[in-house]
Amino acid sequence: MTAIVTEGLTKRYGGGAHLPRRSAAAPVLALDRLDLEVRPGEVFGFLGPNGAGKSTLIRLLLGFLHPTAGRARVLGIDTEHGSVAIRARTGYLPGGIALYDGLTGEQLLDYLGRLAGRPAIRRAELCDRLELGRTTLGRLVRDYSRGMRQKVGIVQALQHDPELAILDEPTEGLDPLMQRAFYGILGDLRAAGRTVFFSSHILSEVERVCDRVAIVRRGRLVALEEVATLLARRRRRVEMVVDGAPPTLDGLPGVSDLAVAGGRVTLALEGDMRPFLGAIAGAAVRDLTIEPARLEDAFLELYGEEEG
Amino acid sequence: MIDPVLLGHVWRSQRTKVAAVALALAAWAALLPLIYASFGQDMRRILESGIVPQSFLDMASSLGGGDIFTLAGSVALGFVHPIAVALECVFAVGFASAAVAGERQRGTLEVLLSRPISRTELVVTLFVALAGFVALTVGAHILATVASAIATGVAGELDLSTFPLLWLNGVLLFLAVGGIGLAASVSTDRLTPALGVTLAVVLAGYVLQILGSLWPDAAGLQPYSLFHYLRPQEVLAGDADPWSFVVLAAVTAAALACALVVFPRRDLAAPT
Repeated sequence: MTAIVTEGLTKRYGGGAHLPRRSAAAPVLALDRLDLEVRPGEVFGFLGPNGAGKSTLIRLLLGFLHPTAGRARVLGIDTEHGSVAIRARTGYLPGGIALYDGLTGEQLLDYLGRLAGRPAIRRAELCDRLELGRTTLGRLVRDYSRGMRQKVGIVQALQHDPELAILDEPTEGLDPLMQRAFYGILGDLRAAGRTVFFSSHILSEVERVCDRVAIVRRGRLVALEEVATLLARRRRRVEMVVDGAPPTLDGLPGVSDLAVAGGRVTLALEGDMRPFLGAIAGAAVRDLTIEPARLEDAFLELYGEEEG
Repeated sequence: MIDPVLLGHVWRSQRTKVAAVALALAAWAALLPLIYASFGQDMRRILESGIVPQSFLDMASSLGGGDIFTLAGSVALGFVHPIAVALECVFAVGFASAAVAGERQRGTLEVLLSRPISRTELVVTLFVALAGFVALTVGAHILATVASAIATGVAGELDLSTFPLLWLNGVLLFLAVGGIGLAASVSTDRLTPALGVTLAVVLAGYVLQILGSLWPDAAGLQPYSLFHYLRPQEVLAGDADPWSFVVLAAVTAAALACALVVFPRRDLAAPT
């Protein structure tokens, strides 16, 4: 059973029965025939800039929105007819989470835990890892900093050990140490076979924690691939300084934008690196820099292609 | 259909307000038998002397109090007085219109609805909470009236068996207002429109009722006011019109049905 599957999922705001008031004037196609499959046990990144349709998809999956066309199933349950059952098995961290300011952190977690209807078996461990001590949890939420609110948001989403975690910009407001702690939590979830659907525009963290990514642009799916495949395919900048004659690289598979100026060679390298490494094996290479493949560049390349 | 955890949370978050409103209503209600016991007979003598214009007395009577110089009349007037109405509206208008729209505006509805609670369950639970608050506060008004009448030795002038019906009449009126508030609340993303619509219903209804009382040509408009169906004078006289109760119950049911139909079908887009 797939964790999440969407088939031709489309959401149009405006001009329909379910339109939000603010979008009534101009119809907006927020999601356009999206076909997506998230496998159980994977950490899945859902990428796109603001307004690309990330939050719309999450809200459709949780039953907050009704699709204009197509359908979605979460944990095998249709979102239109079983959203309550879906939410019973899901943990959700909204982007820019708002909490009940009049409660203490502990009261809030108790309340949301009871509403979830399942024991908060992971709360102590999560609070420990995110450094939410008794003193902090005893304070009113209104006195919390942005980062502390986010930490409480993460705990409320995961404390009942859901089968599927849907996290919208989860590291927003977290300092680097807490981001690292959060990545550790994600690693544990993955090890425990839990599925994580992760929306973000911080590409470095998606690259770090996700198995596969989907990239959306203006509501349409631009790419859906393994992170490793996406990175392997992207062109890296290579800069090399050689003593003596430069190696013959022209026409080598994967090599482009070759430029030789004196002993300095620059080029773009794509795909399998072995032909390139073989070609420079005999050269007197004094310095070699191969820029690491980054998801950010892959993302920008994909967007560039789409623009083109 | 009712989520006990949510109901408990709503109760805990409102209990101080419930206590404050109940105390204020009780103080107001206790004042009327006290005033009657202290000055009622003197006032009646002044009235019978002809100093007070008959038109003023007619107006006071038509506003719901009947003969305001009887205990039943002054209790009835206290029941429809703007002070009592304003206090009851803390829940019928304030709580009801903020119940969903306020959560949506603050962004906390996200967290709440990410739990396994259906929107129908949410509306029903909030309505039950509203009914409880209204029942308690109207009950405080009634109990304080009776207690004050007993304490001042004038309880014998009242037919206490009519008080449960008076309580029901008051509860149904403010539940009807609250039902409209809840329907408005689930229909918008912002508190202000929900509050505005509900307040408009209350103010327009109150003005229509007063206008119809003062101006015979406008009397035909009174049935369009919910306050027309609050009949403390008739209830205390043992002459309650069942139709008043039926109309208020029907408005309540219609408003609740509207909320239950609209809310689950609505799109809840990301908060702005």
